Amino acid sequence: MYVIIVGCGRVGAELAKLLSGEGHDVVIVDKSRDSFSCLGETFNGLTTVGNGFDLALLRQVGIEKADAFCAVTNGDNTNLISAQVAKKIFRVPKVLARVYDPQRAHIYAALGLDIISGTMLFSAMLRDKIIESRFSSYLIESKDLGVIEIEVKDELAGKTIQDINIPGDFIVVALRRMQGVIIPEPVTVLKKKDILMGVVKVASLKAVREKFHLGEK
Amino acid sequence: MYILIVGAGKVGYFLARRLCQGNHTVSIIDKDHQICEDIAKELKALVINGDACDPKILEEAGILRADVLAAVTGDDEDNLIICQLAKEKFNLQRTVGRVNNPDNEYTFNELGIDVPVDSTKIIAKIIEEEVSFSDFVNLMSFKRGKLAIVRVDLPSDAPVINKQIKDIDLPKDAVLVSILRGEEVILPKGDTVLKPGDDVIALTLIGNEPQLLHLLAGKL
Repeated sequence: MYVIIVGCGRVGAELAKLLSGEGHDVVIVDKSRDSFSCLGETFNGLTTVGNGFDLALLRQVGIEKADAFCAVTNGDNTNLISAQVAKKIFRVPKVLARVYDPQRAHIYAALGLDIISGTMLFSAMLRDKIIESRFSSYLIESKDLGVIEIEVKDELAGKTIQDINIPGDFIVVALRRMQGVIIPEPVTVLKKKDILMGVVKVASLKAVREKFHLGEK
Repeated sequence: MYILIVGAGKVGYFLARRLCQGNHTVSIIDKDHQICEDIAKELKALVINGDACDPKILEEAGILRADVLAAVTGDDEDNLIICQLAKEKFNLQRTVGRVNNPDNEYTFNELGIDVPVDSTKIIAKIIEEEVSFSDFVNLMSFKRGKLAIVRVDLPSDAPVINKQIKDIDLPKDAVLVSILRGEEVILPKGDTVLKPGDDVIALTLIGNEPQLLHLLAGKL
């Protein structure tokens, strides 16, 4: 894939290294030449100094051939404009923008931009780490479905997966135990201290919590 | 009219002051607390201190009642996003966005700003016209740059000198609007004869500019 990244901060640089390490062609754009130093010596993509929504610069780095475009500068507005330029003017097939401000993230997501809000994701992750029987809505990009983790205690130990699945509402997809992670069969028997990972409909979340006596402390 | 201005720098301040003198309701938003205080003392306008990229601040400034929003900060990114928020979130019909970097004008147009005003280009144009670097000047563009009013200064060897206007084969979609001869302003008719040193003002489609210049001044 040919990927253009705008913004060479921690996220941009890390993303560039990841993609480039997997063999993708990467161009990274930043206003300041100094920011490229964090790419390290092994980075073999291209670096260009300039503004991420400068049409001439984008043409020069071959945006017309790009498969993906990712705007991750520190400025929400810069990212939103760069992403719109990539999507609307150059019709790049996949365009992503990082937006810190949840309000603007919501508005522009509703307008059809693919927005990643670090603020929303990270605070949701922290919440999920704090609350027991953690429920994560960010793993699946949907408002209707999420992933829940449940620790197996006395009352669930000894039951099988098919005993606890609720067809249409909750399905266990993975099981973490001492030896590692397994994808369970319907007849797999739960042991104490296993961690269940299940997909749950948000609408059924309350019922599932009640069924397994999970407090939302 | 209810006009919401974002950015109280020189442009925003003078715009607000002018509009307040007319019978308009003006509200103005700026990030700088001190600037807001100063303006609130001087102008009869609602002054809100805050970041207009925040929808709550726009609401405080009365965007729901506004007829027009003008984003005139010195930051093109902010101006563009504020105009978009006004249109997309608050359904405002008319947004005016100041373009500081002429390279961004096309982007403003493409991303739905109703009236991008390229302050840098306008000032550069006026200076260019005053200095008269060349005998061909684009005075003004309309319709997203499709239509222009241009001025051509006729050199003494121009092919149209001593010709009547009706004998000049003007390009399609170009019209001579007026002729400036010294202090005199002539509205051209079929029998008007062109003289050396005349400044011809013409309205033309942008694509026809080179043909028009070639025809009137004899060069490309």
